[in-house]
Amino acid sequence: MKNIIKIFLLPLIAFGLFYYTVALDIKPKLGLDLQGGISVILTAPEDTEEELLIKAVEIMRTRIEAFGDVQEPEISISGDRSVLVQLPGVTDQNKAIEALGTTGLLTFRPVLDSSLNTGYSPAFEYSPNPDDPDNPIKTVPAGVDDLVGISLDDNPSTISYLLGVNSGFPVIYELGPAALTGNDISDAIAVYPDNEWIVSLELNSESESKFTNLTKELASKSGDQRKIAIVLDGEVVSAPGIAFDVDPNVGITGGTAAISMGNADAGESANNLAVILRYGALPVAFERSSIQKVSATLGENTLNLGLQAGVFGLIIVSTLLLLYYRLLGLIAIFGLSSFGFLFYSVISLLGKFQGYTLTLAGIAGAIVSIGLAADSYIVTFEKFKDELKIGRSFEFAANKAVQDAWKTILIADFVSVSAAFLLYILAIGPIRGFALALGLATTFDLLFTRIYTRNSVPLISNFSKNPRMCFPITNKDLQDV
Amino acid sequence: MFKKLFLGDTKIDFYKIGNIFYKIFIVEIILFSTVLVLTFTNILEMNLSVDFTGGTTYQLETEYSTDDINDVMNSKILEVSRYQTFDNSSSIIFRATESTSDKEAEFLTYLSTKFNISDSKIEFQRVGPTFGDEITEKGLRALIIFLSFIVILITYRYEFKFSIIALIALIHDLLLCLSVYLLLNLEITPSTVIALLTILGYSLYDTVILFDKLNDSKKINKQNNINVETLNNTFNAVLMRSINTSITSVIPIASILFIGNYLGLSGALTDFALPLFIGILSGTYSSIFVTIPFLSKIIKR
Repeated sequence: MKNIIKIFLLPLIAFGLFYYTVALDIKPKLGLDLQGGISVILTAPEDTEEELLIKAVEIMRTRIEAFGDVQEPEISISGDRSVLVQLPGVTDQNKAIEALGTTGLLTFRPVLDSSLNTGYSPAFEYSPNPDDPDNPIKTVPAGVDDLVGISLDDNPSTISYLLGVNSGFPVIYELGPAALTGNDISDAIAVYPDNEWIVSLELNSESESKFTNLTKELASKSGDQRKIAIVLDGEVVSAPGIAFDVDPNVGITGGTAAISMGNADAGESANNLAVILRYGALPVAFERSSIQKVSATLGENTLNLGLQAGVFGLIIVSTLLLLYYRLLGLIAIFGLSSFGFLFYSVISLLGKFQGYTLTLAGIAGAIVSIGLAADSYIVTFEKFKDELKIGRSFEFAANKAVQDAWKTILIADFVSVSAAFLLYILAIGPIRGFALALGLATTFDLLFTRIYTRNSVPLISNFSKNPRMCFPITNKDLQDV
Repeated sequence: MFKKLFLGDTKIDFYKIGNIFYKIFIVEIILFSTVLVLTFTNILEMNLSVDFTGGTTYQLETEYSTDDINDVMNSKILEVSRYQTFDNSSSIIFRATESTSDKEAEFLTYLSTKFNISDSKIEFQRVGPTFGDEITEKGLRALIIFLSFIVILITYRYEFKFSIIALIALIHDLLLCLSVYLLLNLEITPSTVIALLTILGYSLYDTVILFDKLNDSKKINKQNNINVETLNNTFNAVLMRSINTSITSVIPIASILFIGNYLGLSGALTDFALPLFIGILSGTYSSIFVTIPFLSKIIKR
């Protein structure tokens, strides 16, 4: 009874998990090469700090999300200084690459008005309604969303209405045309000189006068109109006001400026602002090392090829095992199909909960592992035959075979698992997917050998003690040896 | 005859044929070295994919004539270094050396007007040369660490000499695979590199199983050293397992190759399958016939 439980333990887990994944409609998460899309590898200059890479990835993620029709963008740091961006289902490669590669549009624009002042978007203009005094007529300028009052596109050359955050609250700013861009800034750094965080800004020498003129103009104004909005990719990241001690006749001169950021708690936002000012959108200048576009049909073809080849291979392997090993072949086939179901379910679940994507390399690893798993049965069965050959009884031979085979398979699989483990740790990109699939399959193989094969093969003697039922040889052949 | 093979009761004198296979091994090594020398002297071209050399590839499916291809090859927009066509599909692949992204976009437009297909139907790939370098570098590092680990493992479990023999068999498989690639001028892609790493694992797995069997026989016969009889018996007994295992491993891979070929698909999956196919056959061969001459040398008569 105990043996029966052990035999059916793994198959039951396998079929249970498979049923679970099918019932919940969990499918393996397909890599880009199997479902089509664009994959870009961006490489940062050598010795780039990891912190900057993480920041760049965050910025790219928000940009891609803003981009719309992307199903599940995947942006991850791979290796020391590469960022792997995968955009499944994206076909407009120019747009996608634009969103990633460029350093983003950073502009400095005078604030004309804001919702802090009006209470609603400064884009809206209300005029009295003579028919219904409670519902004034709302007019909205062209190119502005008439519900939230934000410009649909950020056009730096005209008046725009853009969203920003001020002390945690959303604010809509009415902005004049851009006076300066990110290219006018030569350096920016966050400092903490005197109980206050300051972002110190340095301008290019040729841009000094532009900045002086802007500040001269703004210093003569009051309220919101004293503010300069720093706009990145259509979002107001900061809107510092011109200090009251700036002389409207002189402006800020010398090519430097300081933005006060507040007390000790403001360190992070000061650093973020400095990074944005210094680098534009992306804190790192990436080189596009690889752009790969896979059409959906090509991906689908490859997936089908892999599946067909896998099924076809399994059928032939099963037929051969059945022809050669007969009853034992049945044990192997039942074990191999449980193995297949378990592998599929675990890959699906890993995709769902760990974000593991099944790529072509992973499928190749899985197909290779069919061979490895089948081999474990062959090794066991051949040991069984060897024991019969030296005249051992059926029961004894079967028990001895599963024990000896376990030792052999343990060391051989150990080589495979360590190969997979090392590959996973040391390699990048597609190789890792392959290594994971191989490592997983080999681990399952060990489990099946130890629990399933070990307990099921000795049971054979309950059915028949004739070697003809297990091998293409007879009792007489065995005696002749 | 088959019955003997099934029983593992063939009476092949492996010790004796060790000499023959030693000669075959030497001939093989000479062949591999010749191929390598020819490659280094640029007589044979190494067909590295764009991932290693850097550049762009354009793959499209269309009706084309030889003139069309010549036109593209002679177009002055990009330096088109190579093209590839397929017998049983209408795909063409053009390969160009690295250039500016403007030029690359221009070439894309050129192709789409030339063959009258939408440019979104053209598979476009651009790779900087660093990417391939990184894969190769990391792959090599993984290889060296892995091999040292294997030497330690086999030495600990069996004997130091065994680990050297396993390495020889392994290098044999890698060289064989590489030579086939170089001789047939097949494209070497990152997939090929992964496949070669798998062959490593497979070849070792096969050799380790054999060593394990040898070790068992030694223990059963209560010997300190393996003698000729043990060697012969072990190899005869293990022959059927080797054949069965390589058949079961090769079939799924062969089905990728044949189904892929039948459907007219050539791509990353077949890139994997071909070196694996060669490697598994070579691994089965080497685990017996490359190890035999060396095992014969180290055992006591």
